[in-house]
Formats: sequence, structure tokens, C-alpha cells
Amino acid sequence: MNHWQPYTPSAAEPWDLKKVGHLYRRAGFGATHAAMQKALADGPAKTIDALLAGGTVDDEFETTSAFMVSERSLPAGAPTRQLAAWWLYRMMHSPHPLREKLALFWHNHFATSNVKVANARYMLGQYRTIHTHALASFADLLQAMTVDPAMMVWLDTVESKKGMPNENYARELMELFSLGIGHYTEADIREAAKAFTGYGIQKGKCVFTARNHDGSLKRVFGTRSAYKAEGIVGLCLKQEACAKFIVGKLCTFFISDTTPPDAAAIDALAAEYRRSGYDTATIVSTILRSERFFKSYRQKVKSPVEFAVGIVRALEGNVGPLPLAEALEGLGQVLFEPPSVKGWDGGTAWLNAQSLLFRQNLALAITSTDDSRFGRRCDPAAVLDKRSDGEALDHLLVLFLQGDVPAASRVKLTSYLKTSKSLNAPPFWSADDVQNHRLRSLTHLVLSLPEYQLS
Amino acid sequence: MATRREFLKASTLLGFGATVPTFLGRAARAVDTKASQDKILVVVQLTGGNDGLNTVIPKASPLYKKYRPGIGIPSDKLFRINGEIGLHPSLAGFGRLLNDHAAAVIVQGVGYPNPDQSHFRSMDIWQAGSTAKTLNEGWLGKALKSKPMPAFHLAADNEAAPLAFAGASARVPSLTSLEDFQLKFVAANKGDKAQQKKLLEDVSKGQPSEPSLLDFVRRTATDTYATTDKLAAIGKNYEPKAPYPVSTFGNRLKLAAQLIDAGIGARIFYVTLDGFDTHSAQGGLAGTHANLLTNLGDGLSAFYRDLKDRGHGDRVAVMTFSEFGRRAKENGSGGTDHGSGAPMLLVGGKLKAGVIGEHPDLEKLSDGNLVHAIDFRQVYASVLEQWLGIDSSKLLGEKFKTLKLFA
Repeated sequence: MNHWQPYTPSAAEPWDLKKVGHLYRRAGFGATHAAMQKALADGPAKTIDALLAGGTVDDEFETTSAFMVSERSLPAGAPTRQLAAWWLYRMMHSPHPLREKLALFWHNHFATSNVKVANARYMLGQYRTIHTHALASFADLLQAMTVDPAMMVWLDTVESKKGMPNENYARELMELFSLGIGHYTEADIREAAKAFTGYGIQKGKCVFTARNHDGSLKRVFGTRSAYKAEGIVGLCLKQEACAKFIVGKLCTFFISDTTPPDAAAIDALAAEYRRSGYDTATIVSTILRSERFFKSYRQKVKSPVEFAVGIVRALEGNVGPLPLAEALEGLGQVLFEPPSVKGWDGGTAWLNAQSLLFRQNLALAITSTDDSRFGRRCDPAAVLDKRSDGEALDHLLVLFLQGDVPAASRVKLTSYLKTSKSLNAPPFWSADDVQNHRLRSLTHLVLSLPEYQLS
Repeated sequence: MATRREFLKASTLLGFGATVPTFLGRAARAVDTKASQDKILVVVQLTGGNDGLNTVIPKASPLYKKYRPGIGIPSDKLFRINGEIGLHPSLAGFGRLLNDHAAAVIVQGVGYPNPDQSHFRSMDIWQAGSTAKTLNEGWLGKALKSKPMPAFHLAADNEAAPLAFAGASARVPSLTSLEDFQLKFVAANKGDKAQQKKLLEDVSKGQPSEPSLLDFVRRTATDTYATTDKLAAIGKNYEPKAPYPVSTFGNRLKLAAQLIDAGIGARIFYVTLDGFDTHSAQGGLAGTHANLLTNLGDGLSAFYRDLKDRGHGDRVAVMTFSEFGRRAKENGSGGTDHGSGAPMLLVGGKLKAGVIGEHPDLEKLSDGNLVHAIDFRQVYASVLEQWLGIDSSKLLGEKFKTLKLFA
């Protein structure tokens, strides 16, 4: 039995807008109208190939991105918000959104916070390491993260000296980064911790100092050797639990907050991960192409970043990333400042009365054109381009929800449009003002539909 | 159609059980009289290191006069507590809660072993309730995880959420003002706005369905809209029963009182008062520190009397703390440097009013600092067990001896 049977369009399960929207939400940050139409024509295989490969390199995007984090623009003491804004800029405009999405996954997996690291250059370096390996070898990524300066500060590797080993990194390496609870002993941690001594940071790079390193034999997972950091990480990668642990997290991330895949499906995927030499792109490809993936429609709550970036990408807008980064703090997701080394809980934890309210107010601020933080650069009226009321509503519902809303909601929106025609607008508004106002109100209402909170 | 009971059962299977308790989970039940009798904890953080020795003062100590020649408070000016100690007169508001209302406790000489004098490290230790090397979770976050209940961080602009709440299963919302808690619309006029709001309420009702994420979002939305209505109403009509100090701290305490009185079910509040890092020109009877204590004492007093008048006096307990006390001897610039061992002040109708512990002995300093006799985690353990009904030993990592804080 193939647990990861690829999806093929059929009469019962046609390749339609719903599936296109689903794919683009999960594998990126949503799609423009044009991208959805293209995907519809291209079919699933070609569309997924393109998502995995990413679009053509956009020189202007790369130049702006590099400028925003040059040493002059972003010194070590720069506030986290500036770094978060830069990443949001990348998510909003990158030609390879899947890679940014994976970077977000790994940022949550290796959750490191600048609150403790207190060095924006280190955090930037960690992002770059993650971005480099995001769709490549997890084994390389895990090795690189072990000697990543931000990580070394975050989990105290820099404090760990021969004779006084700090167990922090050894513990999280096993518990959170590779194996999960239950697949190691406290003795494994104590012994492994000795291997992580003698690593410090000089000029922003990890350096090994032999005299601070404990060169003794360490007993870990039933083996005995004079391990250094690389050796312990290699041991973790050899454990059966490792691939299972990582693919399990990838499944939660890409498929469902509520229903984890059954153990047999995880085992099959983990076996594939090991066969591929921990090639993350292989696993992501298998997941995205599967029937299982396309059946997981609306089984995730959008993260604040997905919610906000999705609005901007769909409307082909261009909002300032700094105010967006600031607004996201109120929604509970501060990039580069996850709440703890366990990352964000995600799922239903994203939503409470205040965060839902703030999401709706943020959607309004981005699209209303009269909020001084965001200005007029993401104006739905521009996208709707003088469509009639009915067409405008259809267009918005397709753009954001692929038309999949309860009939009753559509009726209510239609009737709002009708009554708002005769609204008592201020006398100084022109006819265009009134029409644009109605379309922006309508957009806000569509973005406030409960369905829009889901991915 | 699924009954509520079936829904709850299924929602636990869906993994919602731990995350529903945002404050709306409770808001839906706010009418429930039992819920409205739940106990409330307000934590007040005094940021910067409050000078405990000029807060609770050993009146008969000759060493006090010797150590504090410039900023010392003359013993005849103290607010009287008992034969041994008095309060800085700026704390009279708090003092009267103890003497006249029997609704306050002073815990003296609080600290922890091997005190750290870094603001950040020591603040982390207090907020985490632990001296472990790496601190990622807060004591209140853990409390919320073991007993989910709605909580608020009443923040100043741009004030980050405290470590104290880290680890809660749902992120504790930071709220700066009631105005923030309004659903905003781009609306041509009042009627337009009402129509849009009605539409959002209607589309969130949806159809009764199988437990699903969509159902979860709809319920959250419905509760959100109900709560905004409630907050909008209280925002307009709230007349404090006692005057709050005109300060951001006073405003935040008033906001806490409003939220409590509105009965939306919030159980834990976190408020900070910054500015206690008085290395220079601290002042004595008047000045920087005196002003801070006035703000604190009058704020606590107004908060308690306001709530008491509304019938919530016995439901609320306020606990203040600071990351450390300050050096016994004043320094050369009319201030004090980082120290240790300091008092904690508590307010509430159910407290066993009085003074707990002895004032740290000024003849037995450690590196010039007051020595603690009570571990701050004993106070936490007492609050957790006697007030919130949470087992403290698992949460704090060991069993701390509790104090008789509550009557």
C-alpha cells in the first residue's frame, strides 16, 4: 500500500481552484489571480515542479534584500523588528516562496531568539544557514546549526568548557532538534555535553579551541569514542528516531494541525528521508504531490505571518515591511523572537479574542488605504479595477477563498453591497470615492470571514 | 446536531482542549456565577531594582542612619507599622490598606541564594521562578499551562510580553488600552458600521457542524465580537470608586479593575512600574524614589478600594516584586547600587494581614547587601497553592515551604 499515493485529477476530485488555492497557501503564502489561472491550466505536476524549483532570480529583489541587511543598514545592535521586516519583505516578494516557507519551518524547529542572542548579525547568519539548507540536506543543516554563532549563544555552547560542560545544547539537540523525548537517556545527554566543549566565537565564526575541549571518551547511544560536536550530531542522525521525528514535524507543518498522519505513513516517509540522505526537497515533494495533502483542506490555522503576507501577495501590494513587522507582534508572531526554544505552538494557539480582533483590524489597516502605517500601496480597489458589484465580490471570493464560502455568507455580502449603495456618504466624497469605499469595506469583510483564518 | 458535550469530547480529541482557554473560552461562561467568583491574581513588577531598605525601614537601627546619611528617612516621618519597622511615608496609601483595611501583607527579606545582580538575569530568575542556568518558561506561563485560565499582560506601548508568561499554552495577550480592543471598520457612517458588524456576527454563526477548525474559528469570532461589545460598554461608563494616580501605572491598574468588573473572566494580570534603578539622586523624603512609591502606594490603594466597593475585594490578590533590592550603604552620588534581599508587598481582602519575616539584619550584611531569609519561591508557592489552587512543587521544581499568606 502506498501511503503517499500521488494525487491525480479525476471526475470526483478535479484539479480546481480549491486545490490550487490550497497548494499555494501551504507551499507558499497564497497566490495572485494570474498565478491561480496558470496553475489551473498547467495541472498539479507542473505546478508543483515550479513551486519546488522557484521562479527565475529577480535581480531587483535580491539587490534590495541585500541592501536592507548590509552591515551598514543592519549593525549587530539593530532591533529585531528590523530583521523581521527584512524577512517579511522576502516573503512578500521572493520568487521562491516555498523556500521562505521552509525557512520559516526551520526557524520554528531551531527556534532561536534574538532576545538572548542580542546580535542581529548572528541572527542573520543563522537565517542564511537555514535558507541555504532549507530544501537540501537536513544532515548538513543540523551540523551547521550546531556551530552556528546565534545557536551557540542561544543554547550556551559558548559557555561550555572542559570540566564544566553546559548540557543545554546537548539536551535540545536530542529533545527538540533531532530525536524527540524518549529516544535518549539523561546519561546520553551528560556524556554528549562533554563533546560540545571548547567551541567559541571569534569574529562572528565558530572556532574550536583544543585546550578547552574535553577530549575524553564519551559513551553515547551505546557507543564509545572521543567524540567532538560533529561526531555526536552524526550519531543523532544515525538514530532511527531522527527521520521519523523530522518528517512528523514536516507533516504537521504542511498537512494538518488536527490530524497527524498514521504511524505507517510516517514510517514510509521516514524511510524515504533516510534513503534520500535526508534530502528535504524529496520529502516536501512527496508530501505536496500526495492525495493525503490535497485531502487536508482547511486543516490548519494560518499563522499571523501567513495571514498578513497572504493578503499582500494576493493583492499584489507593496506595504512597508517595518510597520507590518510591528503589527505582527500584536498577533503573536515576532520573527527571530520565538517564545522559547520549542518555537511557536501554532494551530489553535494562534487565535484568541485579542489576536483574532487584531488580525481583522490588521487586514483593514493594510487594505483601507487610510491607515498612515500602510498607506495606499495595497489597495483592493486598484485590483478590482472598476468591476461591477457582483463581479467584484466574485473576484474577491475567488482571490482569497477560491469561492468556497457558505451560500448564506455570499448572500449576506451581496445584500451588504446592495444596501451600501444608498449609504449616506459624506457630501464631499466623489462617486469614485463612494465606490472605492464600498469595495474596500467589502474586502475587509471578506478577509474577516472565518474561512479566511484557515489554510 | 452535535451537543455541547459531544463537541467538547470531540474537541479534546482534536487537540483543542489545551488551547481553547483563551479568554473567550471563559467569556462564554462569564454569566455563570461561579466563574465570576474566581480568584484573581495581579502581579506588579517594579522594574529596575526597588530599594527595599527605603521602602520598609528599620526605625530603631542606628546602622540605618549611618548607612543612609543623605537619603535616609527620619524615624519620626515614617508611616507606622509596628515597633520595629515603618514605611516610607510615600507608601501611606499602601500602609492604610494594612492598618485600616486589614488587606495587606509585608513579606520581609525576600530573595534567593547566590543572588545575581544583573538586572536581566535576576529578572529572568524572578519571572521564571527558577535559578536554572537557562530559563525559557515563566512561572505564570507554567501555572496557565497546568490550569488554563484567561490572563492579560497590561502593557505600556512597545512593552514586550514578560518571560513570566512564557510557556502558557495560549499566548497571553498584551493589551495597552480598551480602545485597542475595538473592531475597526472603514465605514461611511454609524449605520454602515453597524451593518458591517452585523454581517460579521452573522457569518460567524455558521451552521452547526461537526467539530472542526472552522467551528473553532467561528466560536472564537463570536466570543470576540461579544467581548468587544462588553468592553466598549464598560469603557464608556467606568467611574472609579477611588481616585487612581494620574499616571500610566494608575491607568493600567484602572484597566485591570475595569476588566475584572466587566466579568469577562480574566484571572491573571501583569503590570509593570519602571524606573527603580536609582543609582543617583534617588532622594529621601522627596524625589525620584519617593515619587515612585507614591505612584505604587496610591495605585494599589485605589485599585483595592475601587474593587472592594464593587464587591471584588475578596476575589483579588496583588503581589509586587522587584528583581533585587539595593546596597545598604548609599553611594557617592546620592543613590544606591544593585543589592539583594528586599520586601514584597501584597494586597487583597483575603490576606492574613500583617508582617511576615524579620527585617534583614543591618549588622549581618553580605558584601554590603541585605541577606534574605525567605526565598521568593516560598511566596510563589503560597500564592499558587493557597490562592490559585495549583500544586507548586512540580511547577517550581521542588517543594518550597509555604507562608501563611491567606486567612
